[in-house]
Amino acid sequence: MSRRKSEKEYEKTFACHFFRWLDGEKDPFIGQVEMQQQEAFREGEGDAERRLQEKNILLNQIYGRKKSRSIRNLERFYKVASVVFCGILIYLLLLTVSFLPPIGVAQRPINNEVSARYIEKGLQETGAINIVSGMILDYRAFDTLGESHVLFVATVTVLILLRMDKGKKDYAGVSLEEVEANDRRYEPKNDAILQMAAYLLVPVIIIFGVYVILNGHLGPGGGFSGGAIIGAGLILYLNAFGFEKTERFFTEKTYKRISFCSLSFYCIAKSYSFYTGANHIESIIPKGTPGAILSSGLILPLNIAVGLVVACTMYAFYVMFRKGGF
Amino acid sequence: MAEWLCLIGGTLFLLTGIVIFAIELYGAYHYHYVLNRMHMAAFGDTFGIGVSLLGLMIINGVNFTSLKMLLVILFLWCASPVSSHLIARLEVATNEELETHMEVEQE
Repeated sequence: MSRRKSEKEYEKTFACHFFRWLDGEKDPFIGQVEMQQQEAFREGEGDAERRLQEKNILLNQIYGRKKSRSIRNLERFYKVASVVFCGILIYLLLLTVSFLPPIGVAQRPINNEVSARYIEKGLQETGAINIVSGMILDYRAFDTLGESHVLFVATVTVLILLRMDKGKKDYAGVSLEEVEANDRRYEPKNDAILQMAAYLLVPVIIIFGVYVILNGHLGPGGGFSGGAIIGAGLILYLNAFGFEKTERFFTEKTYKRISFCSLSFYCIAKSYSFYTGANHIESIIPKGTPGAILSSGLILPLNIAVGLVVACTMYAFYVMFRKGGF
Repeated sequence: MAEWLCLIGGTLFLLTGIVIFAIELYGAYHYHYVLNRMHMAAFGDTFGIGVSLLGLMIINGVNFTSLKMLLVILFLWCASPVSSHLIARLEVATNEELETHMEVEQE
């Protein structure tokens, strides 16, 4: 503290504020930025009773506990089995750790010929200039197959949780039609500026996404990033023009068909290439000249399949959280 | 000589852009109300990025990368004001005590 200033004066200076902030004594956000504290949870009259009632309804009607004895037995077995299964899993994983090689030894399995081969012969064997694409869609295509299925399973899970069927009124007293009517209360409704921007930007965004997907084997990009760009373009279009416009070309049926076709095409194509590779049969799919747009064998179609799945998944997530159905 | 001029001009533009970003950051934390803060953020998103990328384009010279930077500027100038407009719209639609922050014209 400076000797020339009194303590009261010093408290007003910038240095004092700065060092207090540095020491964490003062939060610069408190009182400065608009923030609202969450209200404390307060239980009203009859809330506990209602909660108990709802729990009983859930147990009796949905899980059918009263209906049969076998389900109750299964529940007990499930609890015991889950604990036993977790115990076995933990034991196995710890056992594997004890077999791992020590750290810092040159002969570790990670320093093997696999990565050297990827770098030396990747271009020749996969035909892709972008070696990352060559790895994820050729050498390790099985892994990418799992990833695209994870996306599909995630959508299905969200569908189970948030889906609303037409005509039913079971969802906390609200039907899908009411949700649709409420949908645009806070959303921009027929906003001329947003519509003009979307009119200009959406084609550009979608074309850029297509470019990223088709160039996946030639440069940075690929199915995942390009699909995300296309999905963002679709979401922008939906925000600007509403569900009536998007449902002309993208409904639940479209989602089903695109996902099914892409994932099954991926499975069949990679099954073929694994089969030929394992049995040392010459594959009929030509590699082409590296650098051309139609080259590198299966990587380009697989990129397209992955991109379609990713774009549909992003759009379906958004629609599901906004409205609860297509 | 021309290269030096390009370098100096580009650097000046870049420095201007950095100053604008500093003003944006200061403003975004200085103001308390959402519309003022949104204005400062949009200011940096359009003007700051435009000037900085212009500086990079001048340093880079005329080639394909500069064209890409120009497209980035165009994209941001289309997208950022629209998002600010939507934030402002949402604030007007949801805030019931709008009169405490500003004068509201009665229609």
